[in-house]
Amino acid sequence: MRATLTHTEMRSGFLPDRIVHLHPTRLCNLACLHCYSESGPQQKTAIDLDPLQHALPLLKAEGYNLISISGGEPLMYAPLLPLVDQAHANGFRVTLITNGLTTKRVDDVASRLDGIAISFDGPAATHNRLRGRADAFERASAALARLADNGRPVAAAISLTRETIPDLPDLADHLVGLGAKALQVRPVALAGRARTMADTSSFTSADQARLYLVVLALQEELTDQVQVHCDLAPARRLWQQREAYAALLATCDQQGTDDPADRLLADLVNPLVITETGTLKPIAYDFNSCFDIASIETLSREQLAYYKQHNLLDLQALIGGALARLQGNEGLVDWFDYCTRLSEESSDGES
Amino acid sequence: MATTQLTGKNLSQRLSKRLANFKLNDDVIAKLADRVLIDGLEIKKFDVCIYGICIDYYTDRIPKLDGIFSKLDVARLEVFPYGIIDWDRFHVRVSFTVDELEGRGGGGGLGR
Repeated sequence: MRATLTHTEMRSGFLPDRIVHLHPTRLCNLACLHCYSESGPQQKTAIDLDPLQHALPLLKAEGYNLISISGGEPLMYAPLLPLVDQAHANGFRVTLITNGLTTKRVDDVASRLDGIAISFDGPAATHNRLRGRADAFERASAALARLADNGRPVAAAISLTRETIPDLPDLADHLVGLGAKALQVRPVALAGRARTMADTSSFTSADQARLYLVVLALQEELTDQVQVHCDLAPARRLWQQREAYAALLATCDQQGTDDPADRLLADLVNPLVITETGTLKPIAYDFNSCFDIASIETLSREQLAYYKQHNLLDLQALIGGALARLQGNEGLVDWFDYCTRLSEESSDGES
Repeated sequence: MATTQLTGKNLSQRLSKRLANFKLNDDVIAKLADRVLIDGLEIKKFDVCIYGICIDYYTDRIPKLDGIFSKLDVARLEVFPYGIIDWDRFHVRVSFTVDELEGRGGGGGLGR
């Protein structure tokens, strides 16, 4: 007989960890055509280290165990090293995703991280065109190879438009040849600058199926030491695993015996996003602002308790509705992007 | 016109490319995805075999064989209970005939 799991022992949503996605800056040494946060060299906004340091113990107490830093280019965030050290001191694991251009800083920070990924968008010509820089692919590849040679467990985060699906097998061979230990594959999110890309770049349901099958085949073709993961999942399987959202949805019909304020935020909101302006959001950087949770400048246990008691209902309704739509869906779903697009539909005019 | 004799081995090595290539049209891909995604079964291994594509699934519930046989082009089905190793777990191997991968099925096969 299986023991009953407490909420903190159960998954929180469809993720293996309770994750804070931290975007400390929109400053970037590139201005990619598909960037969901519209980052670039002119985007100077960055979050101060002080409120972040103040928030770390509270976020840990709320159940989060992993901080994933992106951006912007996180290696251009000036206080990155003290941030990483503070996060570790508070018991977090820390991972980072970079474009691999800033060679020295990659080396400086890599030894302090629990994982690092370098982003790729396709073969060299496509990658360089999307990133607006002729040597972007070469430098990212060199950074990946150097990290692997130094024994770091480096991964490649691969974002694809539909036109680049045929290039994935060769790109995977290239990255594994350089020493990548994991490949994370996903369709480009239609957010930020990606909204201005040609319609032919976005995925149809058949394109999703093609990518999913290609990743299945790659899992067999590549060495056993390489993990290949696709963010697309069969809707039916997600529906069968809907229990992962039990903690969030249970508060919908609670009868007053279980105060949502007593629940950990990580059991209810996963992932949690912190933007460069210090805004705490659920799920994704571009999640509709009417679902925003708090500002890091004023973050407190009381403020989160108020959110859980009074403002969580909208998120519960959205996730509950998204899960319900999975029932009977025979296709594939990029779950977090799916929820993010629903957040845009459900809250027009309310933000 | 010269053609290349495809063996199971080189088919396997190139399966990702054959699926990725848009010469295998969207209808074929959609039908293939529909065949391999079986309710209640989790894919663990996806490879070519003498039938076309063979897939190893795992499930912790007794597999519903009706649902599997309702899929098109099932050439072979094997169910392996884990028994005393894990009473609640089953390994299900399904072999699908996929003519399109051999360029026989029309609908934009690879036409090698």
